[in-house]
Amino acid sequence: MLRRVLGLGAGRVALGVLLTVVLLAIFGPLVAPQDPLATSTDLLAAPSAHHWLGTDYLGRDVLSRLLAGSRLSVLGAVEVVAMALVVGAVPGVLSVYLGRAFEWVTLRLVDTLIALPFLVFAVAVTALLGNGIPQAMFVVGLLVSPLFYRVARAATLAVARSPYVEAAVIAGASVAWIVRKHVWGKVLPPIAVALAQTTGVGFVVVASLTFLGIGVRPPAPTWGGVLAADLGFLSYQPYAPLAPIVLIMATVWACNLLADALRDASGVAGRALVLRRPRFSGGSRVKEA
Amino acid sequence: MRKQLLSLLAAVTLGLAGCAGGTGSATPGESTLRWAVALPAHWDPVVSGSGAQFRILSLAYASLTDIDENGKAVPSLAEKWEYNATGDQVTFHLRPNLKFSDGEALNAAAVKAYLERAKTQKNSALFGDLTSIKEVTAAGDTDIVLKLSQVDYQIPLLLGERVAQITSPKAASDPAKLDQSPVGAGPFVVTENVPGSHVYLKKNPDYWDAANIHIDRVELSAAPDNATLVSSLQTGVYDLAYLDPSQVKAAQAAGLDVVFQPGFNAANISLNVNKKPFDNPKVVDAFRYATNRKEFVDKVTFGYGKATDQAFPPGYVAYDPQSANAYPYDVAKAKQLLAEAGYAAGQIKLDLVIPAPSSAAEIVQSQLAAIGVTVTIKVDPNWATPFFAKDLTLSLYGTTGRESPVQTLTAHFGPNGPLNLSTPYEPAGFEDAVSLARRTPLDSPDYARNLQAATRAGLASEALIFTYSQPNIFVKSKKVSALPAVPGQIHWTGVTVGG
Repeated sequence: MLRRVLGLGAGRVALGVLLTVVLLAIFGPLVAPQDPLATSTDLLAAPSAHHWLGTDYLGRDVLSRLLAGSRLSVLGAVEVVAMALVVGAVPGVLSVYLGRAFEWVTLRLVDTLIALPFLVFAVAVTALLGNGIPQAMFVVGLLVSPLFYRVARAATLAVARSPYVEAAVIAGASVAWIVRKHVWGKVLPPIAVALAQTTGVGFVVVASLTFLGIGVRPPAPTWGGVLAADLGFLSYQPYAPLAPIVLIMATVWACNLLADALRDASGVAGRALVLRRPRFSGGSRVKEA
Repeated sequence: MRKQLLSLLAAVTLGLAGCAGGTGSATPGESTLRWAVALPAHWDPVVSGSGAQFRILSLAYASLTDIDENGKAVPSLAEKWEYNATGDQVTFHLRPNLKFSDGEALNAAAVKAYLERAKTQKNSALFGDLTSIKEVTAAGDTDIVLKLSQVDYQIPLLLGERVAQITSPKAASDPAKLDQSPVGAGPFVVTENVPGSHVYLKKNPDYWDAANIHIDRVELSAAPDNATLVSSLQTGVYDLAYLDPSQVKAAQAAGLDVVFQPGFNAANISLNVNKKPFDNPKVVDAFRYATNRKEFVDKVTFGYGKATDQAFPPGYVAYDPQSANAYPYDVAKAKQLLAEAGYAAGQIKLDLVIPAPSSAAEIVQSQLAAIGVTVTIKVDPNWATPFFAKDLTLSLYGTTGRESPVQTLTAHFGPNGPLNLSTPYEPAGFEDAVSLARRTPLDSPDYARNLQAATRAGLASEALIFTYSQPNIFVKSKKVSALPAVPGQIHWTGVTVGG
């Protein structure tokens, strides 16, 4: 699959951008030219050789803050995806095999979760459980999980009705064997597409929450926090918001590009399933394949 | 279908036009001031207290006294007043034939009812300001006699806009209703109040100085974000707004008038000496030496403020020159004091609890990090509750100042002062010094000296580190004439709004 994605131009570009972001998350604080928390008397300075992206309202180096802020964004997005994958995909597959009661309960739960606006809910949860990205992202992951549930369930249903799976059932194969041998391979491509897309959503959510000052404590640097601070000083630095905006846009764009590349690389089956994926904001129902 | 859509559009348009009518609309030819401002949560001055919101409430309420451009008490509802020979009784004489906007008479009985309500109402935010007043008597229709619990020549300054915005006794019989539907005798009358959205007021023809009010209508709107405020004024959406120092340059570039109004305010770092580590005076001293006030002036006020190490801005009558710069910025000395107190670098970890994100908090955090103190900033929207309950260890506060300097001193340094996070702690000698200042007539040659001595005694407090003072900054469109330069207040006398 990876080889097929790398064979596509879009896949190479997307992976290149995302790899850069991941490397920034790991090594950003180390390669930052200056201490991202160190204040100076050089307030709201224009970009220069010393401060490539200028300084903020406390004289802190903006480039260093953006680099240091990468880690929180990546970790937040990963938490959303991991949570959604575990809570969504696994029950999605099992709902086909564990009987009608399990199917009914999980479908109703999914319907309930889809009805909740995740950004608002995340804000409420941080108010309840304390101001932190991990708890906010936990909730967002939970609320995004219906996407994975439905994609996994749709793919599993399609496979479950195929003659070779029915033959395996007649031959007395266990559910675990069938899932491992026949279902996972078919379910993974559409899940990978959903995963890439959800990662982009995770980045947007982290940026949105930190833009609102939720989930982090000052002076911790974040992409959204840098953007929010810049907007208060447009008369001094009208260009300043461009840096965090480009960073957020490029990352989300790369996630979506990767989702497209994965879909193209996964062939007709994946495309047929993924094109029916639900939209996050609308919470609309998806027809099962 | 198209016909139905057109009908719907017409209905919506008519509906909107209907909404714009009634009390919500301005009449053509009216002089209207549109002010973008943080709308008051409370319209009952007794509940609202003596904080910055009194400026908005003063649109609807008149006060017993006022101040002039030099900060001296001048007549308002009371046309004159006099003390007895011993200074423990003061009689205010009201103007004749005053009335509230609900038609009730504003007489001595109404003033007495207001002061007694401010002293006794359960949710009064003013009772602490009125401790000098022992008994209020209405002598006839226009004379109010205040018997004082101590000699106190500050009373005329005290009973100004912050503390004595007189409310209609009839309306105050339902304090909850009054809190949202103000009934006073101010220059304007509230005609519509939609909390969180807007408040509309019209000129009060019964205001005692109505002849000098030239604005027919005031529209208060919830202030937009800093980033869009200037463009809102530039495009004529608003005529007047408070301005953050970061937006001064943009406002001036947009051709708007930026008004720097003098004030009495001072920001501080509040410490609780009843809690560790501030129970150790060496730690307090270390924090004092670690405070770089210039950084606050440069980064919070963008250079428009002044550094101050007292509860007043430099130059104010109560500012004590002898105490100036007692703890100059000295990181090495601060570190040494912490070591002497037995604290290694990184050993002190504190929560700095504030009501809203602020650059001042980040500056405190960074300055204390320089001496090895780890500060975690915690934003608590319900900050006021633990702050005024004196439960916090470290916080920030910015007072708007008071017309009475003694009131400012007792609020900060008194054992029960609302701004003294270390209640019941009081610096030694403060009580006597402030009592002397209170007993000194305002026109006495000793007044400034005694006041400054009280400031000096208060500054021995280990509970407060003052940082900077910032003028009240307004931005207004050119069509609004100059605002009277009354320190810390906004007066509408003589102000005009052009077409």
